[in-house]
Formats: sequence, structure tokens, C-alpha cells
Amino acid sequence: MTGMGLGPLGNAALLLALAFSLWGVIGGAIGAIRRDARLLTSARMAAYATFLAMTAAVAVMEIALLTDDFSVSYVAETSRSTSPTWVKVVTLWAALEGSLVLWGWLLSGYWALLSFVAPNTPLRPWALTVMAGVQTFFVGVPAILTPPFQTVSPIPMDGPGPNPLLQNHWMMAVHPVLMYLGFVGLTVPFAYAMAALITRLPGSEWMTQTRRWTLIGWGFLTAAIIAGGWWSYEVLGWGGYWAWDPVENVSFLPWLTATAFIHGVQVQERRRMLKAWNLLLITLTFSLTLLGTFLTRSGVVSSVHAFGDGPVGPAFLVFFLIVMAFSLGLVAWRWDQVRDRADLDHPVSREGAILAGNVLLLAMTFAVLLGTIFPLIVEAFTGDKVTVGAPFFDQASLPLWMGVLFLMGVGPLLPWRRAPDQTLRSNLAWMLGAAAVGAAVAAAFGIRGVYPLLTIALSAWNLASLTLLILGAVVPRVRIGTRSVAQVLRSYAFENRRRFGSMIVHFGVVVLALGIMGSSAYRLDEQIRVDFGATTTFAGLELTAVDRFMERTDQRISAGAVVDVARNGTPLATLRPRINTFAGQQMTVPTPAVLYRPLYDIYLNVSSSIGPGQEFVVLRVVRSPLVTWIWVGGFIVALGTLYALTPNRRRVAVTSRAGPEEPVGT
Amino acid sequence: MKRWIYGLLGVGVLVFAGVLIQRALSDSLVYFILPSEYAADPGDYQDRRIRLGGIVSPGTVAFDDTELRLAFEVTDSLETYPVRHFGTPPELFQENTGVVIEGRFEDGVFVSDNLLVKHSEVYEAPKDGEPVDIEALKDTLQ
Repeated sequence: MTGMGLGPLGNAALLLALAFSLWGVIGGAIGAIRRDARLLTSARMAAYATFLAMTAAVAVMEIALLTDDFSVSYVAETSRSTSPTWVKVVTLWAALEGSLVLWGWLLSGYWALLSFVAPNTPLRPWALTVMAGVQTFFVGVPAILTPPFQTVSPIPMDGPGPNPLLQNHWMMAVHPVLMYLGFVGLTVPFAYAMAALITRLPGSEWMTQTRRWTLIGWGFLTAAIIAGGWWSYEVLGWGGYWAWDPVENVSFLPWLTATAFIHGVQVQERRRMLKAWNLLLITLTFSLTLLGTFLTRSGVVSSVHAFGDGPVGPAFLVFFLIVMAFSLGLVAWRWDQVRDRADLDHPVSREGAILAGNVLLLAMTFAVLLGTIFPLIVEAFTGDKVTVGAPFFDQASLPLWMGVLFLMGVGPLLPWRRAPDQTLRSNLAWMLGAAAVGAAVAAAFGIRGVYPLLTIALSAWNLASLTLLILGAVVPRVRIGTRSVAQVLRSYAFENRRRFGSMIVHFGVVVLALGIMGSSAYRLDEQIRVDFGATTTFAGLELTAVDRFMERTDQRISAGAVVDVARNGTPLATLRPRINTFAGQQMTVPTPAVLYRPLYDIYLNVSSSIGPGQEFVVLRVVRSPLVTWIWVGGFIVALGTLYALTPNRRRVAVTSRAGPEEPVGT
Repeated sequence: MKRWIYGLLGVGVLVFAGVLIQRALSDSLVYFILPSEYAADPGDYQDRRIRLGGIVSPGTVAFDDTELRLAFEVTDSLETYPVRHFGTPPELFQENTGVVIEGRFEDGVFVSDNLLVKHSEVYEAPKDGEPVDIEALKDTLQ
């Protein structure tokens, strides 16, 4: 390359983005204080300019990766010339420096989009200024602390390639992007919350204006967590999907508070209650994404995913503290406006159920956070090195989950404000009946554990609740009109997208809960030696190690076993678990083979060497009941979120008034 | 008045959650120790799940490839304990490498169900006669 190399070009783009986002803060703040329309327009332009500069930085990095320009430090440290194109593209987020650039880019995209679509309300100037402030941090870190565009001299011939665990599965292309889209999506409601405090408008305007953004952020975060689980299932080789590893936990924490927020918002919209609470929840959600990044990127907690230590951790910690001090300070300053004046009329009401669910979700947040940072606390005080095992997280969160499932069933059937009435009692009777039948059937099939039985009973409870909700909406409309059931159902689903979407999401959660129950409580896991040509039995299945195989490409070498799986002599599948060795890497990656089935998966992973002279293979065999339901449930949740997000054409004319009271169970 | 009741209910829920959390925490703390730390106070770790770190003693590794049982001794050069592990040794497992094993002591034998190999690039085994830097060993294994 002649003239300016890609490294300096990328650097310039990052520094330009930093300057633009700084202008977004300064110009935005001065403009908002002086109510200067020209300054505010200029600050909005800064959002577009930042987005363009960040896009340029990402484009330069992608060009450097795709053209194997090893003079760029990030490329030299993480890429490899023999990698397939898709791996080179996603190498942008395969290590810390690049993934911060991606984060900053996605954030600038949201900021620019928000500048473009946000309605011109008194909240907008400050919301955009807060976005600019967050953006300044997320450009400043890659531009100054972890510059990915440094010039390397002498230029190496080739690089090591990304971590083999990341190269080993295409999910790597999806999961981190979803995660960052979730994180930055939830920055928007946070920015509006801060704007609401600054402008003394802590009503529900800030949440109605960001309802979409909240749902988008939450939807992406949910999808990211499920996708991450599926990635570990397909890649890590132990047949599980969730190990309560710190990195998993810190993605789960903002999800919990965001879930609480989505529900709390409804109480504020309907009842003008929980103002301070909702502000706190969204602040917590945003801060937890920062705290999580600090914990996992600073090396303070050991984790299989940790990228190691560096200046990034402290920077995130400082930013986390600033955000906490700023937002809590604002809440305190505006306390007189945000404290609730309305009271809960009756605890057995929609708002009562939502409040109780919020408390449970927050208790879970606290438990998971405590378990994650407890090793730090213990080491600080006693010097002992400890880890908190998975049993802690299970014991602490399972009872709370049962409570959440209980409330998820009963809450949507409860009317706002009013004390319970006759229909509610008959509805509850149906749901209790369903729960009892569910538990009895499960017990008849030999399920004895308390939590599995409870989960099944509560799933039946929720399915009954969903059925009653739909019947309650559809039956009266069928009775009064001339339309058929299908027509009524279709128009109900079309006209109440938000509500119908929430029903789909709740149904997805039930499917998820059953999947988690089955795969964690009834999982069988064994290491078995099989001689080549011989058959062994495992959990009613016959496994035959037919042969070994070897495949070689430019990028990797795979050695594995061909295993026939059969039941009672009927062949089910031929699986090829293998061990991959990537060019440029010493580490080998055992790559499991999975037979996906609706009732249980069979998961094979090679856990011995598989050399030419060896006459046997040792397989780790895992039989996980219902594990597929987790991926299906996650998909349903994402679908429901998407459905709730689609524009509701018929309601556009009446957006100014609150949605009509839903006839519940009548 | 109502606020007080809800406040109290909220506190009640929090206390209940706190008790659940405290119980679960005390049950599932897993200490990371070296053989000499165990030897100093075996009673502390009675029937407790622990993570034991150390170096695989040379000449002690035996693997039964029919029963898939691995036996070796783990040492921090002050104390040495025998280890039984069910399963195949990880690929990089060999003599003189750092390992962390998870399980519990049963009659002086450490029965492990999880074996991790740690590459200790920083730590170098002391030459004969030199004192062992236990803290450095622990830090590299952690």
C-alpha cells in the first residue's frame, strides 16, 4: 500500500469520531441550556458525523483483515491469512480491541438513528447529549486506551488467527453482535431517563418515547443470551449451555433488570406509580452492562471467556462509578418530582403482581451479582482464593424463578387497581386444576424432584392462563358479532400487537423453563470407552464406533470417530465427533456432534486422543432431555418481541390516549 | 399506613431472599488451596468440595484405559497427595505440569471429577535446596 497506510487511516477515523462525539456532548449541552436551535441541530449533525467516522474505522479494519494487512496491530495479533473469509470478517470482534470498535460503531448507529427519528420533544436535546456522552466513552476507549490500528514493525508474515474456540462455530458471527445490539439498545431508554430528570419531566413521556428502543434492546439481549448458550452447547464439549461463569452472569444481570423495567414501565403508564423505581431500574440496567464489562475485561474475576487484563477494566470501572454517581445524584436532586403520590389500591391487582415480580427479579439480580463478585470480597478480606460453585446460583435463583413463573401466570389475568372479582376466582380455579393435572401426569411418568414437578405444574398453570386470556378476549367478541372464531382471533391478534406479543413471549418463557428443567434435572453424562468395531450401550441406546476419520483443509485438521447411534436395533443417526486443530494454533478443539431430537439430545464428544495406532476411542456421551426446547423457546420469545414491535396501523390515530382497558376474563 | 405494610412486606421478601442466598453461599464456596495448605489443617476441608492446585509429580502417572481411571500424585514440593480421577487425562496433561483438580479428600486420597491443566509459563520449579515460592505457584495456577 502506498501513501497513507490502513493503520493511520483507521486511527484518524477513530480520533475524528472522538472529536465529533465530544462536540455532541458540548454542543448538545450548551444548546439545551441556552435553547439554541442552531447549536442543537449542529449537535445532531455530530451524531451522523460520528456514525460516518466509526463506519469508516470499521470499514478500514475489515479491509485490513480481508487483505491480510499485518502492519495493523490488531490484524497481526488476531488474524491469519489462511482463515476463510467469514472468519476474517468476524475477527473484528474476536478480541478485545476490535470488539470495542464494534461496540462503539453500533452505539453510534443507534445515536445517529435516534437523532434522525426521535420526535422533537423537550426531552430530545438532553437525551441526545447523554447518548453523546456515552458515545464519547465508547470511542475514547478504543481510540486512546486500546488502539487497534497501531503500526507494527517489522511486519509479520502471518498472524496466529482468532481463538480456536471462536473459529470453531459460525455462531461466533452472531452472538457478540446481538449482545452489543442489546447493550446499546438499552442505552437509549437510559439516555431518555436522564433527560427526563434533567428537564424535570419525570412523567411517563420518556418511556413511551423509548418503548420501542427498550423492547429492541431487550429482544436482542435475550436472543444474545440464548445464542451464547447454544454456542457453548455446540462448542465447549461438556453438553451444557450455562455454567454460571462470570461472563454469562454479567450478561444475565442487565437482562434481569431490563425485564423488571419492561414490566415496571406498564405500571407507570397506567397508574403513574413507580417513577423513581423505573428510573432506578434503567440506570441499573445500563450500569450493569458497564460493571459486567469491567469485571470480565479486567482480569479481576477469572473466567473462561476473560480477554485478560489491561487498561480497559479500570476505565469501565471509572465510567461505571461516574454513571452511578451522575444518575443517582440526579434522582436525589429531583426527588420531589419522582416520588410516588399514588398508592397501591390493592395488592392483588396487575400492578401488585408486577411489583412483586420486580422484587423477585431484583432479588435474583442481587444474588447473581453477589455470587459473581463474592470471590473478590472473600479474597479482599481473608486472602483466601475461592470460587462460588454453580449450586449456589441454582439454589438462590430456582425458588425465585418459581415465584416469577407463578406471577407470570396470574398477573396478566388480574385487573388494574381493582380488588379481585368472581371471574378471577373461576379463572384461578381452572389454572390450579391445570397445575394439579400437570403435576399428576408428570408424577405418573416418574418425575419426583420438587423443582421439576413445580416447574411442570407452573407451566400448566401458565398455559391455562394464556388460554383463559385468549378466550376472555375472543369469546365475548364472537358472541356479539357475526364473525367466526378464527376471524375474531385474527383481528384480536392484529389489533393488540403489544398484548398478543407479550402472550407469545410468555409462552416462549414456558417452553424455555421446561427445557431448562429437563436438561438440568435429568441429564445423563458419562465417559465411555468404545473399541472400534464394537458396540456399547448407554441409556437404552446402542453406540457403535464404526471407524475413525481424518479431514484436512488449509485452515484446520480434523480427526474424529464415526459413531452409529441406534435404539433397539433401529438406526437413528451417524455422528462424527472430532478434534479440530487450527493452523497457527497449538490448542486443539474437541468438537462435539449432536443428534437433535424433540425429547432428548444425544451429544458425543471425543475425550481421548485419536491417533492411528489406537484401537479405541473414549467418548463423552451426554443425554439431555428437552434441551432443544431452550432454543425453540428462545426463538419464540424473539418472535413475540418482534411481533409486539411491528407497527399497529389501526391504532395510529389514537396514540394520544392510553390504550383501551383490556376486558379481562369476562 | 398502606405504605408501611408494603414496605414491611418488601423487607420480608428481601430478608427471605437474604437467608436463601446466605445458605446457598455457605454451602457452595469452593476453596482453592495447595497441598501444603491442606496438610496444615485437614479438618477445615473435611467433606468439603475444594479445588486443589499443584504440579503433577514425575513418575506417578498411571492411566487405566479400560476402566478410564487416572491416578497420579500432586505436589507443591512441600506436601504430596495421591489423586484419583475418573476419565481420560486432558490432552496437555503430563508430568511436571500445573493442574487444578476439583473434588474432595477421601481417606487421604483426593477424588477428583474435574481436571484442568494450567500452563504455568511464569512459574519455574525451584532448584534443589531453594525455598519454594508458594504464593507465586498459587497465583500462576489460579
